[in-house]
Order: sequence, then C-alpha cells, then structure tokens
Amino acid sequence: MTPDPTPAVEFRAVSRHFGAVRAVDSVDLTIAEGAFFAMLGPSGSGKTTCLRLISGFEKPSAGHILIHGQDVSDVPPNRRNVNTVFQDYALFPHMTVRENVAYGLMVKGVDRRRRRDKAEELLALVKLQGYGDRRPGQLSGGQRQRVALARALINEPRALLLDEPLGALDLKLREAMQDELKALQKRLGITFVFVTHDQHEALSMADSLAVFNEGKIAQIGTPEDVYTRPKSRFVADFVGSSNVLPPKLTRALGGPAAWASLRPESVRLAAVGPVRGTVSAVRYLGAGSRVVLRIGEVEVAAYVPAGDPIPDIGSEASPVFAPAALHVMEG
Amino acid sequence: MPSERASPGLKIAAGAGLAFLHLPILLIFLYAFTTEEKSYQFPPPGLTLKWFAVAWNRADIWPPLWLSLQVAAVSTLIAMVLGTLVAAAMAQSRFFGREQVSLLILLPIALPGVITGMALRSAFSVVDIPFSVWTIILGHATFCIVIVYNNAVARFRRLHGGVLEASADLGANGFQTFGYVLLPNLGSALLAGGMLAFALSFDEVIVTTFTAGQQSTLPIWMLTELVRPRQRPVTNVVAIVVVAMTFLPILAAYYLTRDGEHTAGAGK
Repeated sequence: MTPDPTPAVEFRAVSRHFGAVRAVDSVDLTIAEGAFFAMLGPSGSGKTTCLRLISGFEKPSAGHILIHGQDVSDVPPNRRNVNTVFQDYALFPHMTVRENVAYGLMVKGVDRRRRRDKAEELLALVKLQGYGDRRPGQLSGGQRQRVALARALINEPRALLLDEPLGALDLKLREAMQDELKALQKRLGITFVFVTHDQHEALSMADSLAVFNEGKIAQIGTPEDVYTRPKSRFVADFVGSSNVLPPKLTRALGGPAAWASLRPESVRLAAVGPVRGTVSAVRYLGAGSRVVLRIGEVEVAAYVPAGDPIPDIGSEASPVFAPAALHVMEG
Repeated sequence: MPSERASPGLKIAAGAGLAFLHLPILLIFLYAFTTEEKSYQFPPPGLTLKWFAVAWNRADIWPPLWLSLQVAAVSTLIAMVLGTLVAAAMAQSRFFGREQVSLLILLPIALPGVITGMALRSAFSVVDIPFSVWTIILGHATFCIVIVYNNAVARFRRLHGGVLEASADLGANGFQTFGYVLLPNLGSALLAGGMLAFALSFDEVIVTTFTAGQQSTLPIWMLTELVRPRQRPVTNVVAIVVVAMTFLPILAAYYLTRDGEHTAGAGK
C-alpha cells in the first residue's frame, strides 16, 4: 500500500475563538498538494480567519495546523513557506513596483542583480514588463493586483494564499483575472488557497471547495458535488439557485419527509400533478424562461425551454420532475 | 442667496482683525533696531544695528539660549520615542478602555499649563526630586509627546495595516519590517511632529516656571529682562531669534505634512 501524498495544508480540530466568538470552530480540513482550493462563505463565516491561520497571522486557540506535513503551531508568518495575496493588495506605497516584487528576496539578503533579474522575470509572468519603475499609486486596480501576485510568488512558495483577491475589481476584469489565475496555477503547479464570498467565482475556479458557515465547514467537495448535492439548506441557499423544499412539500411531491433541494433545470410544468401552484413570476433568459410557482409559503422555480408554452402570471400549474432529481439533505 | 463676493465691510473687518493680530509682531521686529533703549516709543527716533552686536556680546544671554536648546532637543527626543510607541499601540490594537487612554494621552495639551506645572511641581517635591534641567525636560516632554503622538497616529491610520503583515508574510523579521516599511512611511510625520514639539518647547514659559530651579530658559530670561530698563532692544533681538527658532520648524512641519491629513497639535 502506498502512503497518501502529504497534503499541502491540514487542519486537525482547529478552533480560533475571539472572546466568546467562535470564528473557527473545530474545523478539520485537508487541502491536497497542487489543488486550487476555494474557501467560500458569507462574511463572518470564518473563511478569512482560516486563511490567516495558515499564513500564521492568527494562532489557533485549539487544534493543530500542518503545512506540508510540518506542525506550524510555533512557526511565525515570516518562517512559513506560504505567501499571501492580500485583500486590497497591501503594496508598499513608498517603493517602486520592482522593489515591491523583489522585497521577499531583499529581506533574505539576495544580491541586487539577482533580485532585479528575478523581479523582472515575475513581472513578465504577470504581464507587467516595463512597469518596474512605477509606484503602486500610479497603477490601476488590476495592475496592482498583478504586482501583489508577483510579489507573493517571488519566494517560490509551495502554497499561495489569496484573500478575496478579485473583490476590488470590476466585473469584466474579474472574469479575465479568474481565467488568468487558473492558468497561472496550472502552470506553476503549486497549491492555491482562495478565499471568496462569490459562489460563481468559487465554483468556476476551484478543483475543490469548502463552504463555511458560522465557523464550521458546512460542506466540502468538488464544485459539482456542492452544487448538485448540497448537504444542507444553508449550502443550497448560499451556493446555488436551487429550490429548497421543506419536508411537507417534499413528501407531497413523492419524496421522504425531509428537506430537499431541486434544481430548476430539472423541473417542468404540467397541467396535472400531485401539487398545484400559482405562477408568480416569469423571467426570460434567452435559451428558456425561469418560471416561479408559489405553492403555499414556498416558491419553486422551474425552467421552461424555449418553444414550450409559457404560462401567464396568476395561472395554475403543477411542478413535475424525475424522482432522481430530488436531492434529500441532512437539514 | 449667498453672495459670491464678500461685502466691503466684511473685507475691512477681516483686514483689521489680521492687522491687530500681526502688527504687534512687526513692532517687536522694529524695536530691535531702535536707537531709544529705555522705553518703547513710536515712531522710533532712529534706526541702528548695534543691538545685534550688543546682544552677541552679552554673556547673560548665552546660558539661557543654550539651556533652551538643550531642553527642547532632549524633550523632543523623548517625545519622539514615546509618542511613536504610544501611537503604534493605539493604532494597532483594540483593548478595553482604549478611548479613555487616548483621552489621557491628549490631556496634557488640553490642560492649562499652570495646572500641568503645579501638578508636576508638587509631584517632584513629594518624591524629593530636586529641580534641575531634567525636571524642565520632563515637564516639556509631557506636552511634546502629545504633538508627536498626534502626528504619528494620523499616519498610522493612513498606513494600510496590511503592509506590515505583507512584510512579515514575505519573510521579514520585526526589525526589517520596522526599517524597510514602517519607518519610511512614518518618517515625515515623525519629523514634522518633532519639529513642532521642538518649537513648542523652545518658547514655553508656564510649565517651565513651575519646574525650573535656578536656571532660566530663554523665554524666562526675556520675561525678567522686560521689567529692567537697561538695553531694552536687546530683548527684541532675542525675540527675533526665538521667532526664527520656532517659526521655521513649524513652517517646515507644515510642508512635510501638507500632502496628508494634517493633525499637528495646534497651539498650547
């Protein structure tokens, strides 16, 4: 039997409490070497604290953190072989772009020439050749973020931590940077740990992700797992536009008496069915329409492909779906 | 309707106000050149440069000038170290009673000088510290710290907290972070705070009166000199020196902090 390769990051029952607040509450987590791992969650869910526990700016109140197999409980941030792209970038305002990028080498005592060459190499990697003599204040948001990326990569970390790195960018730039980050991670082959509150970003970029809620991991898995098989109401609500069905309705629709999720793409409208609802909203989406049925207190969205008749608002219809489409959740 | 231009009456009033504030200062300069030495009469009967030579040769001016420079330099130095440390603590940590501590730090500058002076004087005698240059320096340091603190804390707030973490993240130890990141960003604010503190200390009278022993600083020397009828314009010559020593640093401090938010402690 071959042993498992050592994970890049491992949390063993890690907690971080701030007074009475359990920012991170007994989290177990394994991030595989070379993975693009996303930590997803609303603000205050503990995802950023987890990232700071890895970088070393927070110390666990309990539990152990291992980075590449080494317990880092007593290792300060400047001795950990991970680097961070900070939210808002945190570039040094009084240094040029090149000095910013080369900073990690300067504090190690690498000579000026090698620093310069390596900085230029990294500036080329992030497509900022020729910007070395500028100051961070003279750059756009997207350029600053590239400088932050180059600076964090100069020490050749085995894992790169990214704290909402795209949050400050506008939509178009954000999408372009998502593709670029993904390509960069493939090319460098190092572990990326990425914190975001944007579910689309997490789903489209990550190999695997953890959904955080109130200091705990609500679900961990591949984007497909999390999207199509949410473990709880929270995950279903937060991650996707899935319908969340209360136990009574699930039962009425032919399932067990439990909370369940049902993706709108799987739901069709029929004239007859076990449950009837009233059409309360219709949204045209191009390739089809999203129709919302109100059944008592619950809203169920259905997807009507282009060409099928679209019901009028206020008319009655029944939701129908294949039994396999119904995903029963833990709670 | 608010009018774009001020009325002539308001302009005249504003001009008169400014003149009332600043003409007496010009008079002080003018009397340094007068030929009349017993009283200040206007207009001066004649103009001369001889008082500068007289002042230069007066042996009783030099010790107070030297003492004032010494006190201002040392209390500024103390204030720069302590003020920066306090600012760092206040800007970077959150703790119970933080706002109250912040108020206590600012209190010496809000408190009337007589109160500070009395308090220090009684405290010194309670613990039996003889009055000396050091008691003056301690007195001055109490308000100099506030000036440095105010300047430094404003800069700390503007400094993105993340840059210190970024430095550590990239492998720098505490000393490297201090030298490469913190000091360059704090430098001009510290220099400005130090210059203001120096200027403030250099012309301080009230606290000095309470905390000095036999020594007199330059402002105290001027105060005692004014009541004597002998060689009055010499005092005015010294006044010009005091203006130069205090006004120039304040001007420099203004230019150093002009780009950022300016929170130099004004007036005391």
